[in-house]
Amino acid sequence: MNTLYFLVQQTMYFSIPLLIVALGGMFSERSGVVNIALEGIMIMGAFSSILFISVFQTVLPGQPVLLLAILIAAATGVIISLAHAYASINMKADQVISGTAINMFAPAFAIYVARMIRTVQQIPFVNQFRIEKVPVLGNIPVIGPMLFQNTYITTYLGFAILIVSWMVLYKTRFGLRLRSCGEHPQAADSVGINVYRMRYAGVAISGALAGIGGLVFVIPTSTNFNATVAGYGFLALAVLIFGQWKPSKILMAAFFFGLMKTIASAYSGIPVLAAMKIPNDIYKMIPYVATLVVLAFTSKNSQAPRAEGIPYDKGGR
Amino acid sequence: MKKFLALTIAMLMTASMAACGGSGAASSAPAASSEAAPASSAAASETASAGEDGKFELALITDIGTIDDKSFNQGAWEGLKKYAEEKNISHKYYKPTEKSNDAYLSAIELAVKGGAKVIVTPGFLFEEPVYIAQDQYPDVKFILIDGNPHDADYNYKTGDNTVGITYAEEQAGFLAGYAAVKEGNTKLGFLGGMAVPAVVRFGYGFVQGADYAAKELNVPEISMNYHYTGGFDATPEAQTLAASWYQSGTEVIFACGGAVGNSAMAAAEQANGKVIGVDVDQSPESQTVITSAMKGLGASVYTIVSQFYDDKFPGGQNLVFDATNEGVALPMDTSKFEKFTQADYDKLYAALVADTDGIASNIMKDTEKQVTDIATTAVKVTVVE
Repeated sequence: MNTLYFLVQQTMYFSIPLLIVALGGMFSERSGVVNIALEGIMIMGAFSSILFISVFQTVLPGQPVLLLAILIAAATGVIISLAHAYASINMKADQVISGTAINMFAPAFAIYVARMIRTVQQIPFVNQFRIEKVPVLGNIPVIGPMLFQNTYITTYLGFAILIVSWMVLYKTRFGLRLRSCGEHPQAADSVGINVYRMRYAGVAISGALAGIGGLVFVIPTSTNFNATVAGYGFLALAVLIFGQWKPSKILMAAFFFGLMKTIASAYSGIPVLAAMKIPNDIYKMIPYVATLVVLAFTSKNSQAPRAEGIPYDKGGR
Repeated sequence: MKKFLALTIAMLMTASMAACGGSGAASSAPAASSEAAPASSAAASETASAGEDGKFELALITDIGTIDDKSFNQGAWEGLKKYAEEKNISHKYYKPTEKSNDAYLSAIELAVKGGAKVIVTPGFLFEEPVYIAQDQYPDVKFILIDGNPHDADYNYKTGDNTVGITYAEEQAGFLAGYAAVKEGNTKLGFLGGMAVPAVVRFGYGFVQGADYAAKELNVPEISMNYHYTGGFDATPEAQTLAASWYQSGTEVIFACGGAVGNSAMAAAEQANGKVIGVDVDQSPESQTVITSAMKGLGASVYTIVSQFYDDKFPGGQNLVFDATNEGVALPMDTSKFEKFTQADYDKLYAALVADTDGIASNIMKDTEKQVTDIATTAVKVTVVE
């Protein structure tokens, strides 16, 4: 049983950032703007918030610092994503180009600024955010050890974001308008929806979530931030596509990827899997092979937003 | 309105860019300004101290890292600086513009023009540039750290004005493995980065050091997980792997691969495990670091530089720094040992120096062989693919 608990706990470290960032990507793409800048925004969000933690964790207690850091990560993400939004919405630039530009800019910026401030590029932090056991809930048999022990606030934040995202997207006027701008912006415009504003909102939300995702990614995996999130922004894009741009499927995709990643890395410590002698390359391949297969079979009726990637031109109505 | 907004934003962006450029250029620290303007040929150092004629006798060229990288550059620079400050000799470091042989060579040229008599180049990336430079500047002495000069086709030649220094990583690993088992640990892990020769030798030494201590203590079995992550980054994969080892009972992990170590530390913090650091004293990075398998970078640079000023420069030689000349060490002052004492350490170190019963020379360090080829009595290695 301990092994199972351990697996679930570790899976969270992979899945929650993927979930948050992929949901961010969803908001942007459902509004009609491709956001491949997720990786870069994650780096920026992680950079600013880890820097904040590094400076303030000696004066403030653990969890409040983390909560403030989350806000800072989100704010940074929004600011960076606005550059992407401006280029791709107002300037009608190719959305892949400004996204790529941010991906290239972010690590360079993080290293440069870190070196200016601290003279080394790594930003160290002390991980005082882990919750050994949530009171009361942690004592529930089976579920307690799985979900409420050895965990982070950010795990629950991830689930909260999922629920709120679903509500916003499907149960609010805003969500309906956002989706319509991604499907047929001309039609949306004709009934008085401000397409530009909607797309700005979509990209800004994606920036906020990707920024938070960067922080959530770094906290459990290292003791310093070294201007990288190891390609998890791109992996989140794969999760987004695998999840067919829908919150519930994104949840499943994120946990599928996370579980496979966990097993691929942890199988040597799990007696059952170690005994099976399957090379870990197999586990590593599975999520990607699955993505390819799913895409191959669903490409005909892909759920991708119709107007995704096409700059909205009022004159083309 | 929209045009006005666009114009404002455009102006703001221009202004902020100009501000960035301006502050960089105006910055008083030359090292900083060179980062802002990478076009300049090579950077000066901020801690340079010129001689009377404005020349710098001792020079160091940094490799891809920076002078404060807590690793090779910093370690070598500290050794050089120590000697230079003791003897009041002018010294300076140069930062190449990029990671390429041409950039390294132009940095060397700059150092020579700056009056360098001895140039220290830390890192194996300098093997080819030094191979060329040693013929180009026969009057200048080169000290190549962690490598031996060779050309692009791996024809090795160390000129009379050059010393190549490598370290006995297997002895550093041996010290770490010995200490880990003497501490009473019976379940160990080795988490390497890329399987480059230096990392492999650390690992092999670690296995054999653990085995040696187990024989001494009559411990019947020591189990060891052994894995190379294939990279030098902190990733959730590395963290999960380390966490799974701690979960299945591993007590200490020897993390030997740059930022992979930070992932191991993160996992150790979560599972109350222990980590052994590498190359330099890594104890400031995490409470979980009990000791580090160090290379004596500063000591070796100091030794060679002082030999140069005593007219005993060992030109043309490729030296291996090991226990006999303080090339390897554990930082006992910052180590968190409970049972392994300074006396134990001194005893083992003396044995390595004297090569008692072939303890040092018998360490298997042939990187062509597999870790499973190592003959061990107590240590049982499980290679994790």
